[in-house]
Amino acid sequence: MELGFFGTLLWPIKWVIEAILVGFHSLLTLAGLESAAGVTWVLSIVGLVIVIRALLIPVFVRQIKSQRKMLEISPELKKIQDKYRGKKDQFSREAMSRETMNLYKKHGTNPLSSCFPLLLQMPIFFGLFSVLNDAYAGRDSVGLLTPELSAEFGSASLFGVAPLGLTMATSDGNVAVIIIAIVLVILMTGSQFLTQLQIMAKNQSPEMKNSPMYRQQKILLYLLPLVFVFSGAFFPLGVMFYWFVSNIWTMVQQFIVIRNMPTPGSEAALAREARLAKKRQKKGLPDPADEASGSVAVEEPIKTQRQQPVSKSRAKKQNKKGGR
Amino acid sequence: MTDQPLVRAFRLVALVPRNIVVALLHVYRAVISPLYGDVCRYYPSCSAYGLTSVQQHGVVRGGWLTVRRLARCHPWAAGGVDDPPAREHSPYRLTRFGFIVLDRKA
Repeated sequence: MELGFFGTLLWPIKWVIEAILVGFHSLLTLAGLESAAGVTWVLSIVGLVIVIRALLIPVFVRQIKSQRKMLEISPELKKIQDKYRGKKDQFSREAMSRETMNLYKKHGTNPLSSCFPLLLQMPIFFGLFSVLNDAYAGRDSVGLLTPELSAEFGSASLFGVAPLGLTMATSDGNVAVIIIAIVLVILMTGSQFLTQLQIMAKNQSPEMKNSPMYRQQKILLYLLPLVFVFSGAFFPLGVMFYWFVSNIWTMVQQFIVIRNMPTPGSEAALAREARLAKKRQKKGLPDPADEASGSVAVEEPIKTQRQQPVSKSRAKKQNKKGGR
Repeated sequence: MTDQPLVRAFRLVALVPRNIVVALLHVYRAVISPLYGDVCRYYPSCSAYGLTSVQQHGVVRGGWLTVRRLARCHPWAAGGVDDPPAREHSPYRLTRFGFIVLDRKA
């Protein structure tokens, strides 16, 4: 019973993390990088991020598809929003959320990604934390990380001065560790802040922006740096680095989505329409409203539908019959 | 409910674990949840579901309900409204901050 409950739970996760890290490490050494060098191990952590986030791409694609389908239900969604417009008390908000969720279910679409990606990320985060701690403390690894590799990983350092296994709290006066941790905290706060701000400022409908939930979220946004300062003090540099790279991935992914598949009615959607109109003008194309759907780009037929409020329900039915 | 002080004290102690979990869930919902924004495909969200179930059913049953809900919240789930099973005639009272205490009126 030396592992304990959480140790047992984390064991398979740690095994997988070690396998991925060692896999990337051997690829990188094969490519000519020095086995014990900090860069090699740092890049292995980047590799871990890439593997995990790539695994989550199907989830992400599904989310995009759902978001496109949202256009079909947007009239019904708007009906719900109109019904609760100006009602900001808790009960109305709750009733509105319930109706919205029921609507999603009825149409078999849901713009939310589910809790699974989060649930997948958290154990990996703690698993990496534990692998790194073990490696730094010289404890036995659980899988493919041999004692030699483990020792290398534990003492591998960023820029040759700051070991990945150290935290701000355990830095023991190592100035480089403290400085790098602070820089990482600033970068993480910055990237998270930008991602959230992107979503909140640009990708939300005006109704959403007036809700009390939005205001609460906004306050919390400014508390974020505190969370990261805390984590900067207690998480080893390697884990912080993993988190940071993952954040960058999210940011880029979010940027692409907001630019190309914005929430209907949001600022980003308006900006996108303006951009598309400009493009059309440049090419001398006619307004998409009087164009047939066959010859235009993939996203444009959706817009055609949106501009015909009269026949929308019928158009939708016809679309379904067409087997879209 | 009984007024015997010993029984009351015992029952109060028995409520400690669930209140600890409630406090942890509050911290999660205030600090970590906002980092990710709205992700849950259900209403109430998984953490709200967990909070209510633990409040109503305690750590063991509430925890089990929450684990099952989390397993249901995957990208291919239909989502929708999914409330935790209600508990009728709960002997406890909910404070303003969501903690569970013995009902004073009992």
